[in-house]
Amino acid sequence: MTALGIAVAVMVFGVGLDEVQSRTPIDVASLGPQVGERVPAFSLPDQNGQIQTLESILGPNGAILVFHRSASW
Amino acid sequence: MELQDRLEELQAQGLGAAAISFDSEAVLAEFSERRGITFPLLSDVGSKVITEFGILNTVAIEALEKIGPGRRDPTSLDPAFEEDIGKYVTVGAAIDFHVGTPFPGTFMLDRTGRVTSRFFEEFYRERNTTANIMLKLGAGLAPIAAVEGSTAHLKFTAYPSDPYVTLGSRFSVAVAVEPNPDIHVYAPGAETMGYRVVSLNLRPVPHVRFEPVKFPESEIYYFEPLDERVPAYQRPFTLLQEVIVDATNEAEEALSQREALTLSGTFDYQACDDELCYEPVSLPVSFTLDLRLLERARYRDLRRARERAEANR
Repeated sequence: MTALGIAVAVMVFGVGLDEVQSRTPIDVASLGPQVGERVPAFSLPDQNGQIQTLESILGPNGAILVFHRSASW
Repeated sequence: MELQDRLEELQAQGLGAAAISFDSEAVLAEFSERRGITFPLLSDVGSKVITEFGILNTVAIEALEKIGPGRRDPTSLDPAFEEDIGKYVTVGAAIDFHVGTPFPGTFMLDRTGRVTSRFFEEFYRERNTTANIMLKLGAGLAPIAAVEGSTAHLKFTAYPSDPYVTLGSRFSVAVAVEPNPDIHVYAPGAETMGYRVVSLNLRPVPHVRFEPVKFPESEIYYFEPLDERVPAYQRPFTLLQEVIVDATNEAEEALSQREALTLSGTFDYQACDDELCYEPVSLPVSFTLDLRLLERARYRDLRRARERAEANR
């Protein structure tokens, strides 16, 4: 194989690799506030129309805060 | 929502509870009425808070942009993208109504709103039960359907974290062990010295996955006659094994007629005191949990109806 041939092969191979690697794997553990970080403040209505905030949902020892997909499915 | 069933216990531990989704107040009102939910379900229409938290499901948005509202021909997609859609968006056909959802997960917060632990899943249909989260944090909720026993060497209580599970539930089986005075049992590492390590051995069940048993930190027991240092437990300790009910379409099909899930196996150990080592002991344990697939069935029917409507459009 000539030097040019090798260069072309490397280029073609390189493009192929790029395509395979173009999709960054999702790492859900790295998304959102991490351990030790404070979560963003929020203010949202609940099912009874009452406004709830981060402060209002916290108990004396903290809270469990669940993010779920939908209650309508 | 099984969190509701644990609410009193959480409150007794000084914990508040809330859930956030992109549903409207009307949807949440209907849901909490139907399911008897008394803790706040927060309506994040437009997904502003979900986005601020940084957990907006970007795969759903990407899927809608690239392939439109319905998944028609998966073979034309990049396999890695197709895999992500199956893991994070839907195993069904319709994509559009997943846009705006978060990657589902749970944060445990301290009283200042700081994250103390977090639980996010790699497959959107799997999730930790509340009791499992509490158990993993070392703040177990009331044991249910416990198997209790005592032998010449120890007392043990084995129990599942939850009385009922569904597809995708990640729960635990715990074995709390209290060695008698002067007795020790062996911890991982002792097998290389010829001792039987304490363990829980549950038999395989179709469509159920078992994680490796988690062992708490052990201590080193010094056995003078042999000048031997062996990893062992002398004080009360708890073994935890996480169990996941598969949430694939095949599992859903296979389990749809079942009302209960039985896990059986043995609790095994070898005990010694300062002079004698006793024969290894193997004790049968068995737990039966309710399988609740009703909500799943409702969801599946809804999904199929939507898909039919989509196809007729």
